[in-house]
Amino acid sequence: MLEGLVYPESLSLSYADMSVPERLKGMQQHQQIEVLSQSSNDSPELLQILQFHGSNNDELLQSTFSHFQMLESGFGTKYNMDFGPSHEAMDGCISRTSSCQIDPADTMGVMLKNSVESRAISLKNKRKSEVKTREEEKTDKKIKVEAETESNINNKEASSDTSKETSKGDSEIQKLDYIHVRARRGQATDRHSLAERARREKISKKMKYLQDLVPGCNTITGKAGVLDEIINYVQSLKRQVEFLSMKLAVLNPELELAVEDLSVNQFQAYFTNFPVVIASKPSVMVDLPLFPLDQQGSLDLSVINPNQTSIDAVKFINLKTSLIILSSCYLSGK
Amino acid sequence: MASADKPINTDVPEKDVFALHFLQSLSNLRRQNAFNSPDDTTNNRVKKIKKAAYVSMARAAGGTNRLWSRALLRRAAKENNKVVIFSRRKKRVTWLRRSNRRDPVDAERLRNLLPGGGAMETSKLMEETAHYIKCLSMQVKVMQCLVDGLSAK
Repeated sequence: MLEGLVYPESLSLSYADMSVPERLKGMQQHQQIEVLSQSSNDSPELLQILQFHGSNNDELLQSTFSHFQMLESGFGTKYNMDFGPSHEAMDGCISRTSSCQIDPADTMGVMLKNSVESRAISLKNKRKSEVKTREEEKTDKKIKVEAETESNINNKEASSDTSKETSKGDSEIQKLDYIHVRARRGQATDRHSLAERARREKISKKMKYLQDLVPGCNTITGKAGVLDEIINYVQSLKRQVEFLSMKLAVLNPELELAVEDLSVNQFQAYFTNFPVVIASKPSVMVDLPLFPLDQQGSLDLSVINPNQTSIDAVKFINLKTSLIILSSCYLSGK
Repeated sequence: MASADKPINTDVPEKDVFALHFLQSLSNLRRQNAFNSPDDTTNNRVKKIKKAAYVSMARAAGGTNRLWSRALLRRAAKENNKVVIFSRRKKRVTWLRRSNRRDPVDAERLRNLLPGGGAMETSKLMEETAHYIKCLSMQVKVMQCLVDGLSAK
């Protein structure tokens, strides 16, 4: 029953020069027997597939393994896999393989994705590799026959999967593209821990972004310290806002008294860092870059009705001029 | 998914936008005659200005696309006994699916700081915090400019 599992010797010889698949091959039969002993009771078709696969695809395996070697270099650690058999996955496999043809001349990319990773996952080998996405994982126990259609079927099946997968992988599925994430050493690759890990990585990525944002966070390592720094920074910003609003509240009555002294130029200059033009009459805005929508030359404030500080009026006018208008109205006390 | 995520978008508009909104809110306060010193104590004035600052910041930078700005505006409206209506967001389905999925007890202090932080997922919390920090710093700059300009007279 398990004869089909034994890989032909020619294959093993071709791997002599490759470090990675050597170890693989040593464990292969081992694991495949394990895998199939779990699953063979359920589906005799699997064995057929295996035999089929094992017998004819010399160059296929060779090429995929060469790619495999190029992909990963210098890994040497074991990783564990849960082999909880999932029946719907196997049924899926059968339906998948029944409609696939073997075509070694097919696109290497597809074969690469499917075969290499399925083999990598299904073998408990000593290598540090990353985790595949859930769609890949579903098929990891089967040695798939590579074909273009297979990836399509993968997509369809994956898209009909649980919401957890689709919510994470929807956009990727539609693009017929897999995001290959590899499990690190000594980490489980079942669905939940994968999701957990992806979520954690997302959070850490955002924490790094925050770390760049907050000044003085670069020296701190460790999420807790960075989080503390962020919290302190937000609190200090809030305190600053409160402090400045207190100052403004104090300054406000003074503002009303000092209306005539201020010119609108100066007021606007607070915000835009333009050189302050002290003029008695705010008639000519020299500094202001006038956009074609505005009047050229002087912005005569007498023309502008100070009551028109509604938001509608503001929308029509350029931002900077509206700022001027507003500040003038604010100053004049309306 | 660890890879192929959309890049984190925390763009904040220019200082002018903040200044504009802040001045608008201040002039609104003026119009309401809230600054007659015999009527109001300084504390009330301070509170009003502070609230105006936050609300204008939320409106200027966050708009309705940011969770914290929505929460802030909603809170402010509730204090005034008004109701804020937000337009429907496009990504509602995703939002529903993801709500409260993971333990929202992490980073508790941060959640307390950020408006609307209690309901967000942790990753969303980080994004919102980044945007909030940027907006706050911009608002602080605007207010500082105003205070400097006014106090120089």
